[in-house]
Amino acid sequence: MELRFKLNRKEVKVVVEPYIRVIDLLRDNFALTGTKEGCGVGECGACTVLMNGKAVNSCLIFAAQIEGSEIVTIEGIANGNELHPIQKKFLKYGAVQCGFCSPAMVLSAYALLEENPNPTEEEIKDAIAGNLCRCTGYKQIIEAISESAKELMAH
Amino acid sequence: MPSIEILTPKSLNDILGILSNQNRVLRIIAGGTDVVTGLKQESNRFINTEVLVDINRISEVKGIEQRNGKISIGAASTFMEIYKNQIVSKELPILKKAVATIGSLQIRNRATIAGNFVNNAPCADTVPALLVYNATIEIESINSKREISLQEFLQGPYKTQLKKDEIVTRINIPVPPKTFVGDFYKLGRRQAVAISRITLAVLMELNENKINEIRIASGAVTPIGTRFAELEKFAAGKEINNDFLKTLARMLGEEIIKLTGLRWSSEYKLPAVQQMFYQLLKGIERGSL
Repeated sequence: MELRFKLNRKEVKVVVEPYIRVIDLLRDNFALTGTKEGCGVGECGACTVLMNGKAVNSCLIFAAQIEGSEIVTIEGIANGNELHPIQKKFLKYGAVQCGFCSPAMVLSAYALLEENPNPTEEEIKDAIAGNLCRCTGYKQIIEAISESAKELMAH
Repeated sequence: MPSIEILTPKSLNDILGILSNQNRVLRIIAGGTDVVTGLKQESNRFINTEVLVDINRISEVKGIEQRNGKISIGAASTFMEIYKNQIVSKELPILKKAVATIGSLQIRNRATIAGNFVNNAPCADTVPALLVYNATIEIESINSKREISLQEFLQGPYKTQLKKDEIVTRINIPVPPKTFVGDFYKLGRRQAVAISRITLAVLMELNENKINEIRIASGAVTPIGTRFAELEKFAAGKEINNDFLKTLARMLGEEIIKLTGLRWSSEYKLPAVQQMFYQLLKGIERGSL
């Protein structure tokens, strides 16, 4: 099928089989390898992308289902070479160790702060409950998101 | 992933037309959180699927509205849409609490209410809530339209009344009277992204210290989501006090064992479900008095 959608704020068009998963579409057809596959069944959240502003598991969506949608991956978060404030805080607070969960974790944080700029710790935990991290123990991630919120609110 | 054709019809009539022609093995897909994992894991439920019919863009199966004393929820409403809906927040707090416990935010952003019960998995978290609200479901095919109670719809584990050419379009719930109070409890192995081991929902009306009416439903711990009619009848008119609530909790455990038989897990689950039910009732009693 010919598939049209918006990817990282640009209109794109691609010819693909409708039944390939969005994660494979992003990685194989667009070389956007920041989107990771962990479990492939919607439990680990490593494949999280934003679909029309909402965090979703890209391993559970078929290409045909995103026709006309807006998809944002981790590659669409930074402003050119300037990291997004959430990415900076992740680095500053040691929220990145092996890094495999980080792209998805940043996107989950991004979606949360877009909707709720001043979240409580419980709200942060709920927003990242679907993102597994086996390194950090989450404390640094929660701190980084909370500090991101403060910085973004100040602007 | 097997090669599958994916249709994205633009109207309910298109869907009904597609479903009426069953030359190929068809499946409906909405959020996909069950279908895609089922296909990937080669579940028997999805074996040989040739065509997926995506219903996400169909207005007849979307949206939540209140009219004529009923709340009508589109079958393809996501859990997040339900969670954020003001009518649901105001009138159906037990359903709101149930959807909040499902999966993760990513799952709740995609997974839909009909997708939760249409395969009749025992662990479907919305089912006990919908059962205590006496939910009915609208089902359509190209030449029929019917509305039946969810309880009738759910026939046995992974078995429902839905025929191959039919689709669930809406879930209808009579607005519960303001005097009804209730709660929902889910026990999983952890807080988030957990398959339920035990779910319970209770909705009741108290008159002074007496139970006027009580509705009790379970999920996961029974072969399918179940209401307990005899227990409900027994409890009506009784005075609410600790001794009675303990008796009721004991009886619920006995009813559940009757349905499931003794299993290796009964030794753990029986006291757990009785204690959960007792705590649930105590919480409702405290909140409403």
